[in-house]
Amino acid sequence: MNTNFDKFGVDTITFAGSIEAKLQATRDAGFTQIMLKANDIVGHPAGISAAVAAVKNSGLRVTGFQVLRDFEGLSGHLHDYKIDIAKAMLQMAKDVGAPLLLCCSSTSAHATAELDTIAADLRKLAMLALPMGIKIAYEGLSWGRAINEYTTAWDVVCRADMPNLGACLDSFHILAAKTNVEEIDFIDPSKIYLVQLADFLWQETKSFEERMATARTYRVFPNEGVHNDGLIDIVRRIDRLGYKGDYSFEVFNEDYQNMPLPFVAQRAKASAVWLSEHVLKSATPLPNQMRLKK
Amino acid sequence: MSDLLLKLQAQAASQREPLQASFSDSANPIGLDGIEFIEYTTERPQALGQVLEMMGFKPVARHRSREVTLYRQGQLNVVVNANPMATRGEGQPFVSAIALRVRDARSAFAYVCERGAWAVPTNSEAMELNIPAIHGVGDSRIYFVDRYNEFSIYDVDFVPIPGVDAKPAAVAGIHFFGMLQYIGSERSFDWIEFYESLLGFELIPDEERFGIMPRGKLLKAPSIQRSQGFMWQLVEPDVMELDMNEKLQRIGLGVPDVMAAVAQLRQLGVEFVESNEAHAQIRGAITKTYLGSIMFELVQSSK
Repeated sequence: MNTNFDKFGVDTITFAGSIEAKLQATRDAGFTQIMLKANDIVGHPAGISAAVAAVKNSGLRVTGFQVLRDFEGLSGHLHDYKIDIAKAMLQMAKDVGAPLLLCCSSTSAHATAELDTIAADLRKLAMLALPMGIKIAYEGLSWGRAINEYTTAWDVVCRADMPNLGACLDSFHILAAKTNVEEIDFIDPSKIYLVQLADFLWQETKSFEERMATARTYRVFPNEGVHNDGLIDIVRRIDRLGYKGDYSFEVFNEDYQNMPLPFVAQRAKASAVWLSEHVLKSATPLPNQMRLKK
Repeated sequence: MSDLLLKLQAQAASQREPLQASFSDSANPIGLDGIEFIEYTTERPQALGQVLEMMGFKPVARHRSREVTLYRQGQLNVVVNANPMATRGEGQPFVSAIALRVRDARSAFAYVCERGAWAVPTNSEAMELNIPAIHGVGDSRIYFVDRYNEFSIYDVDFVPIPGVDAKPAAVAGIHFFGMLQYIGSERSFDWIEFYESLLGFELIPDEERFGIMPRGKLLKAPSIQRSQGFMWQLVEPDVMELDMNEKLQRIGLGVPDVMAAVAQLRQLGVEFVESNEAHAQIRGAITKTYLGSIMFELVQSSK
């Protein structure tokens, strides 16, 4: 039977190897979209334009582009420096046809924790992205310095009040920080620009250091970890809000970095099918719906 | 002047004190005071020049070193840029820039860049004067000019065309009314935010419309002198339309009497669209498309 998991995609960070191999594995597993990261493009041996061509020729839709780090809350030359970095990231996102740029909350000790200053910087970032038609999805890292929960991230998104600035919700960070998921019900679904999904293998990640280490090595696909109940709750709440956007698997995992790509892509697919069929109970695709050729 | 301003004037007539400026400092953050010029870029400057002359513009000066010509009628300046560096092999002429008059160009530039505008490197600008500019929609630019009272930016780089009146009168009272910008689908609020927070434009109610092409969202630019205000219209594509390109699409010209202006411009050879959807009437008129991309809209407005 055909399964409809078009709203789910994978992040290239999950796979080892070249951008071409990642695109191929993603497509072969039946996905229609992929979330790119900057060094997929910059690190291509034949240059940025070759990487862009590979993405365009793959037929896959680009979910978004990641990631702008430690951007907000800086002043003076540090702020100016980060603006230059942001502009270069936006240019790459535009080149590769990404509709959004992911920006995650700052971990820098040099950055202010003043929420209005953070909001003003995000506003400026969104303004830079605006003429290009790119949206900014702001995500609270669970080890972020001032913003480490989706609730505060949503607060600064509201304070910044830009039509192309929204939130990225990440199940890993919500589960790791044990943030109250009921707050999700109060978010405007049209301002959720992306949902990143991953589970992990430990019950507890108390310190920031533990969260960081876990986040970078032991994330797994949904239905592979130990937080199924929490993850299902998060996904169903977001769906109930009326969220119509994309879900992408952001699975940093050292083992997966050393496995053949088709093996990892099949695990991603199994996770997408589980979410689609058992969690969201999505409808099967209509007959004659346009699909990418295998 | 638009209907809106006429209404304000009528209101003012009943007041005892002289009319106050309609925009405060905070509502006009960059000290905007109308436009200095519109720039078209084309590989076919003669052909575009002919169209402009039909519309009543006269060539008045040429750039000293580049293939750039200044056209003028009344208060309105149009720069035709045929510099090969700028045309980039584009077949059809396009509106490539608008220059805004501001109280202080440097501080206006700093103000918008601080809020997230992209500065344009000066060497890629049309004119050799150091005019600060930011990226606008698509490939277009927005210049900031503060020398428009005592002497003009054209004095330095342009050489007057000999034997030509440098200040030709406007045909049929033509003046700048506004700019029409095409935007992508669901992009209205993005662009409204852009113009509101960077330039101090103000969204006007959907019920308030001018001319015969009322679609989209309409913003009004603040101005130091009331007469210098202008409109900015944002138009999204139709649902079934595939063209998502964003660009400055056409300029709107204000005329006190549209039917008289249409008659006068027809004499000069301009053709107007006469269809069920759009035809010349008291509110406005629109010319046919010239050179595949150039058209002008007339809007009833007195200045």
